[in-house]
Parts: sequence; structure tokens; C-alpha cells
Amino acid sequence: MTDTTGPQDTLARLQAAGFDLNAFTDDQREVLGALTPHELGVLVDIKGRLDETGPEVQAHADIAGGALF
Amino acid sequence: MSGLSRSAALRVKLGLAAPALHAASAALWEPSGRARRYVAYLYAMHALIRASVPLMEHAARRCAQLAPGDPVAGPLGRYLAQHIEEERGHDEWLLADLAAAGADPAAARGALGPPVVAGLAGAQHYWIEHHHPVALLGYVRVLEGNAPAPWLADRLAARTGLPAAAFRTVRDHADLDTGHLAALDDLLDELPLTPAQEVAVAVSALHTADGVARLFLQLAATPGGSG
Repeated sequence: MTDTTGPQDTLARLQAAGFDLNAFTDDQREVLGALTPHELGVLVDIKGRLDETGPEVQAHADIAGGALF
Repeated sequence: MSGLSRSAALRVKLGLAAPALHAASAALWEPSGRARRYVAYLYAMHALIRASVPLMEHAARRCAQLAPGDPVAGPLGRYLAQHIEEERGHDEWLLADLAAAGADPAAARGALGPPVVAGLAGAQHYWIEHHHPVALLGYVRVLEGNAPAPWLADRLAARTGLPAAAFRTVRDHADLDTGHLAALDDLLDELPLTPAQEVAVAVSALHTADGVARLFLQLAATPGGSG
């Protein structure tokens, strides 16, 4: 897959997927603006997982966080 | 090119995945049916962790084939040789946890394993064989970077009513993986990666985060069972 989009297009696609980029520094936005189509595609899928859970699960969680090794 | 180190840049990308992983783990540990779901989690983690050492051994064999003409293969192979020994036998810990929880460890040994777990490990075998073994570092980065909090084992024990012995793997990895993560970040910053290899590590990491979120959401939706 060839990346023909520029950094602003990539950031716009992240925002359109629902990612809030306002808190990122310029360096961090530069990293995100350089995402390849593969990286961007997986991130959009991941955002879909977040949307699957719904806010009520997260609001009522008494345990969350890492559980991998 | 940003002013961030390679490990910091990867952290930025994984930061976008972190809320989904957090939400999936919140769903996993929802109070209703938590003891039964913890046992299902142990089965699933056994299915995942029994692939860790074979994956690293596959990557180490590829490094040996690629070196000395590949400047990444030598140091990567040395890291893998050490990390294989650090991780060896941890699938057996999970079997002991299953037995302590009153479940059947033999069912874990013989289980097919969830398709999402096969997708997680299988993708790594593909990238190791057909791209470059350095991709595996993205997978390791997500597993090591989402280690249990020090309080998780005790809190789960208290709220599931299962014996403390059923939480050895969760408890011990809270301490183990902090040092492992620092060593991995150092390696990522030191390896002479090409831009394509850096992307491979990131895609591997993001794919792993996505798969783990899927796994946790599936466990949350289908409590119990041995996979």
C-alpha cells in the first residue's frame, strides 16, 4: 500500500474516526501525521472496539487496566 | 521527522489505542460473573502465553539466518535469547493458577485456543517469516507494556472469592514486567532500524493492541468455558 496522503490529511482522518488530538504536542502530532495507511487502518479498527464497550461499562468499572504478560 | 525517540514515538501511537484496551479490561472485570470470567481469562491467557517462547524462538532462528549481513539481526537475536529464558515456563504458572481456581489444567493444554489468540500469534509468525523478525518487538511491547498493576491480584482475589494461589501469574508479572519494558524501550532506541522496520514494529504493536481488546471483549461477553 502506498501512502499518498499528507500529515494534515492523516490527522483529519484520525479526528474523523473520533480521536481527540487536542492534547498532543507538536512533536506528537508530527508522529501521528506521519502514520502509514496500515497504522491508520488498525487505529480506526481499535477506535471501533472502544465504541463497542459504551460509556456505561467504563463509568461503572471498579477494576480496569493492564492484565497482560 | 519528529524530535521524539523511537520508543517515545511508539508510545504516542499506542496512546491512541490505550482507551480501547482500558475499556475492554473494564468490561472483562465487570462484577457480574467475575469469578467465572477470571477462569475464562486464565484459559485464554494460557492459550496466548504458550505461544510466547515459540514465537521468540522463531524470531531468533530468523535472526541467525539474517546475520551478519543484517545490522538489526545480531542485537535483536541477543535480546531474544535472554528474553526467552525470562519468559520460559510462564504458561505453566497459568496452569497452576487454573488448578488453584478449581479448573482443569488439562483442558487448557488440549484446547484449540480462541481464534483471536491464533490471529495474534499467527500474525507474528507471518511477519517474522515474511518480513523481518523485528516486528515481534511490537507484540512484546504491548504485552510487557500492559502488565498488571501491583494491586490487581489482591483486588481480584478479594472480589472473586477465589484462593490467593489462583493469582500467582498476575501477581508476579506486576513486578517482573517493569524492568522488561525499560529494557525493550532501550533496545528499540538503540537498534539501527530502517523506517520500514520502525513501521513494522508499530503495525505489529497496534495489531496486538487491537487483538487483545477483541479478546477481552469476547471474554466479557461470553463468561466461562475453556476455549
